[in-house]
Amino acid sequence: MNLRPRPDPLALADEDLMERVRDGDARAFEVVFERHADAAFSLAYRMCGRRAMAEDVVQEAFLSLWRSGARYDRTRGSVRSWVLGVVHNRAIDLFRRDTVRAGKDVSDDAAVERLQAPEGTEAEALRRDDATQVRGALQQLPDDQRQVIELAYFGGFTHTQIAEQLHLPAGTVKGRMRLGLTKLKLSLGDPSEAMS
Amino acid sequence: MTGGESVIDHGRHGCGVNVAAYALGALDPGEVDGFRRHLADCAVCRDELASFEQIVNVLPMSAPQYRAPESLRRRVVHTVAAESRMTPEVRFAPASRSRLRALRLPRPALSFGAAALALAIAAVVVVLAVGGGSSPSTRVIDAKVTGQGTASLRLYGGHAELVVNRFAAPPAGQIYEVWLQRSTGVPAPTTALFGVTGSGQASVDVPGDLHGVTHVLVTREPAGGTSAPTHAPVIVAPLS
Repeated sequence: MNLRPRPDPLALADEDLMERVRDGDARAFEVVFERHADAAFSLAYRMCGRRAMAEDVVQEAFLSLWRSGARYDRTRGSVRSWVLGVVHNRAIDLFRRDTVRAGKDVSDDAAVERLQAPEGTEAEALRRDDATQVRGALQQLPDDQRQVIELAYFGGFTHTQIAEQLHLPAGTVKGRMRLGLTKLKLSLGDPSEAMS
Repeated sequence: MTGGESVIDHGRHGCGVNVAAYALGALDPGEVDGFRRHLADCAVCRDELASFEQIVNVLPMSAPQYRAPESLRRRVVHTVAAESRMTPEVRFAPASRSRLRALRLPRPALSFGAAALALAIAAVVVVLAVGGGSSPSTRVIDAKVTGQGTASLRLYGGHAELVVNRFAAPPAGQIYEVWLQRSTGVPAPTTALFGVTGSGQASVDVPGDLHGVTHVLVTREPAGGTSAPTHAPVIVAPLS
């Protein structure tokens, strides 16, 4: 019998790892987690402003991916964007479950470790360049368009809540979101490769 | 209208006003179903949504980047390792009352509250302010364990970490779940679920607000956890 050894999970692409995760391979899941945990935690912390809450969100998100059999569809984008989408949805679910939103706990900033990463792989360097480009494109937006996009995406607020906060008609808020995203699209071109 | 709002003609089709809000997850819950029905019939909105989703997908990159805490890594990896030893049917089943019935789990012989109280009364509490490898701001509380092994709760900077040693692995199809007991009411579930290593070790962050919590409890529960304890606690760590 000619049995070929299974490749080391570290050598596999995310998409191939997800097929193993679907089969209940904990080692494959661990590799996926290690590759994306920092980005997931960073997004959750940006949204929640509190370390403990961010950890809960990331844990819930990853365990739900594991327990759901990881219904990842590679035709709908990269594993990273899919994972971050789950984290984003979990955080919003949490916000909308709790009627009182706790603010940012600035003392947590000292408790979390900022990623400096002056060294690293070529892929990490490219990712940092892409991040710089995205931040730059956001900064170039008019303040009122950037504000509604950040309140919606990172704050988890609906357009109605944003309109109430800013004392604006709901249509104006929606219009600014659309203008902002359109301008980001023009600035960034096709950003889909940045998330691979 | 602000400086840039006349640059782009966003009136080329009137129905697209909701596309950006939908892509950002910012439509009101009551609007979502209607918009999804509209999407099924409107190729223009579908195309615009696809291009906006590409942009939304890269927005996380603009956030400051942090390293995921080591305790979070350990918690997730331990839980997944423990659950990987279960059958897929058990692992992927939702944690619901119907599943508990399906598994025909035995009810605890001793009521949960009575057991918790009995264990709490019997608990030997040692609070160390300094030493033993702890930082000056760390409190270590020895917990009462039913059966073999030891457990302690480390409190630091508003966070708590439960560390167990030589602790028995949960029975097949089960996992340990952490609960927060306040002075009144039933224990509140947390998202902390864990198994132990081959040598019976585990460390798990205790999530949630510890304000008003009198005891941190651990029970063994069906894989995936439950919303109400089904067994008497095997670990009781008093906080007050």
